[in-house]
Amino acid sequence: MNFNPTPAISFEGLTKEYDGVAANDDLSFEVKKGEIFGYLGPNGAGKTTTIRQLLGLIKPTSGTAKVLGANIRDRRDLIKIKSEIGYLPDTLGFEERLTGNQILNYFARMRGDERRDELLELFPPPLDKRIETYSSGNLRMLGIIQAFMHNPNLVIMDEPTAGLDPLKQDRLHHFLEGERESGKTIFFSSHILSEVQRICDRVGIIRSGKLVDLDNVEDLLARGGKKVRIYIKRHIDKEEFITKDMIDFKCVDKTIHFTYTGRPDKLLKYLSKFEVEDVEIGDPQLDEIFKHYYGNSS
Amino acid sequence: MTSILIEESRRYLRSSLAITGIFVILVAYLLAVFPAIKEEAELIEEAFPEYLQGLLGIEAMHTIEGFMAYSYDFFWIVLVGIYFAYLGAGMISKDIRKRKMDLTLANPVSRESVVLQKIAALWVPLTILNIGLILILYIGALLIGETLNPTSLIMVHLLSIPYLLVCAGIGLVFSTIFDRPRKSQISSIGIVFLSWFVDSISRLEPDYRWVGNFTPSRYYDETEILVHKEYAFLDAGILIGVFIILLVVSITFFRYRDV
Repeated sequence: MNFNPTPAISFEGLTKEYDGVAANDDLSFEVKKGEIFGYLGPNGAGKTTTIRQLLGLIKPTSGTAKVLGANIRDRRDLIKIKSEIGYLPDTLGFEERLTGNQILNYFARMRGDERRDELLELFPPPLDKRIETYSSGNLRMLGIIQAFMHNPNLVIMDEPTAGLDPLKQDRLHHFLEGERESGKTIFFSSHILSEVQRICDRVGIIRSGKLVDLDNVEDLLARGGKKVRIYIKRHIDKEEFITKDMIDFKCVDKTIHFTYTGRPDKLLKYLSKFEVEDVEIGDPQLDEIFKHYYGNSS
Repeated sequence: MTSILIEESRRYLRSSLAITGIFVILVAYLLAVFPAIKEEAELIEEAFPEYLQGLLGIEAMHTIEGFMAYSYDFFWIVLVGIYFAYLGAGMISKDIRKRKMDLTLANPVSRESVVLQKIAALWVPLTILNIGLILILYIGALLIGETLNPTSLIMVHLLSIPYLLVCAGIGLVFSTIFDRPRKSQISSIGIVFLSWFVDSISRLEPDYRWVGNFTPSRYYDETEILVHKEYAFLDAGILIGVFIILLVVSITFFRYRDV
């Protein structure tokens, strides 16, 4: 990929303390132009704190960051580039008495809405209804539209798929990939490993306010695994079932729990040998994986 | 950039109309009892000792102007003052609490501009309430066979605007300091009420009259305007000065705080 040499975001020792406790501790890394950067960490790791500093909502205790060349400590500079930024907060505080349409008109007056119609086809919230009647999925869709409709160069998203149904999540992922193709930079936070794995070019991992890994995370991502819970017809012994790809194996009567670190197709083939009554395959909690890889230092 | 001003103005429309509606009922009631009061006015004035008359703002109760001035003291200075303090107190803290401020500040707009546009939107309640009341009172007085001098009626409302802005300004300062909207609302309502009370009490005792100089209601005297047709423009100017100071203080707090 052909990256522009000046970074979209550069963190320079960014630190935010609350009562002496560091929510962000000396963060230093760069987000390149034209990439999808995943900012991965468990809940409470400090992701939202970082994002809200980038937007100038909260002030760093020390260090700084540059967003599209503007120093976040320089209010005037930051305001100037805000029309080139899209922002999707984790909590969407739209005015409840307004309809979706009124909300979009309001933001359109502030920054423009050249891509509104195109976005509404992909993410259609009930525009004529008041925000107070919106489900979390509809709120998120409206949030996505306001973040992208002025065609910004950089979009900062805080847990963008929270509340979206799986179909819309896939649609958003696909949409973000298209944005990258047209040269946009996407910085998004997530606590879901598989999401980051699927669409990000690079990943920064934050835990307890510190950046614990950057870029070189293929190993972690590949070995993140799937959390599996199966219910089988007859009781079997652990030795009879377990393979080397299964970790954290637990067996309670006819229910078996484990984390599978191998390939999904291999797992499905393997399971077909048993009389499986029910199966659940999901993403493991990020914190569990982190404990596994970075120790218990939170 | 006036998007915030437009949006906030629209928000005040409904509540301003509702409050004006409540005042219609109130004024109807007051005007209905006035003819009876007029008959008894002398008795009432005699019944209350002079110091109590001062506290209650009773002067020339037998005239419609005197009676209205008495009513303004509580209904306008206290209740409408509290309403504006309440509006001011919700402006910033409520938006921060609801995370609406995140979305607002993601726009290319400075924090100074956010505060100024929000306070400027008070033109809606100020206009609707004042014009509404002037019309209701003038027409209502005619209906019961009295005439209110239109000039002093307009002046009593015009000169109350700086006072109401100071109330809103008190709310706004708290709104930028406190994180919880409820806390800023209760604090500013408390201060507006307390300062009116201090002002009223201090009028009773000449030795302590100066204490009231520190209260906003001292600089707006509805009895002077309605009964004596004295318009204290200098006092209104002092209130506007105080309002500007409160605005600068709010903006300064808001500029440097985390939201």
